[in-house]
Amino acid sequence: MLTCKEASVLATKAMDGKLTFRERSGLRLHIMMCGLCRRYVRDMKRLREAIRNAGPIVSPMMPESFRLSAKSRERIGRILKEHSEESR
Amino acid sequence: MAHSLSRPSEWLGLYGDILYRYGYARLRDRDAAEDLVQETLIAALKAKDNYAGQASERTWLIGILKHKIIDHFRKTAKEPSQEYDDGLAGADEDEFFDERGNWQHDVSSWSKPDKSLEQTQFFEVLQRCIDCLPPRLAQLFVLREIDGIDTEEICGAMTITPNNFWVMMSRARVQLRHCLDLNWFNA
Repeated sequence: MLTCKEASVLATKAMDGKLTFRERSGLRLHIMMCGLCRRYVRDMKRLREAIRNAGPIVSPMMPESFRLSAKSRERIGRILKEHSEESR
Repeated sequence: MAHSLSRPSEWLGLYGDILYRYGYARLRDRDAAEDLVQETLIAALKAKDNYAGQASERTWLIGILKHKIIDHFRKTAKEPSQEYDDGLAGADEDEFFDERGNWQHDVSSWSKPDKSLEQTQFFEVLQRCIDCLPPRLAQLFVLREIDGIDTEEICGAMTITPNNFWVMMSRARVQLRHCLDLNWFNA
């Protein structure tokens, strides 16, 4: 019988569709008998669904207050200018 | 609808912060994220004649950035890296499983009608929970679940084995779920 810790790793592998036959039956058996793992698997699938359905809301994932510093902005601007002059 | 490009001299002002945030959320490293903004805009400058106008300018630039991010992982993975091994050996998971491998915490049901996973606020909490993960786990979770990059591609770029990947992803999920439980479902 798998431990819950082992089952949680197999559940992640299952979400990639990569379980072997043996692993799949082990995970099924465990989930049948363990309510906490059953809930875990269900919740993780719901989380994946929610992220997929949300689309761009969850990207780029950093608050708007997170910005380039003035110094780096200036440096990047300068380098870009050099490059655009070269490509002319 | 065909899109057209604005002037390259405006890109930094229009998209610099967006690209920076996007890169940082995946690299968890300010310097590296800044470098990628620069590399992305230089690459865009070289490629601007090939812009076909199918995607918006922003989507086009983020598409270039995504390639740069994978390249970045490919390059840094070649340098000997101890961090992944440390990530695997870490004892942080003992917080979630006892010595016999059983769950340490009972978790609440995620089926409360007023706490749906579709609300905008849920994603704000999810984002904060991702930010609390160890940086490597946050990276893997974002690349796999939010950017939808294949496990094979991530493993190839980062030179980790699929088995290590699943162990780390599993750890990320267990921690995220605990964080969401505390900060969303029981908040």
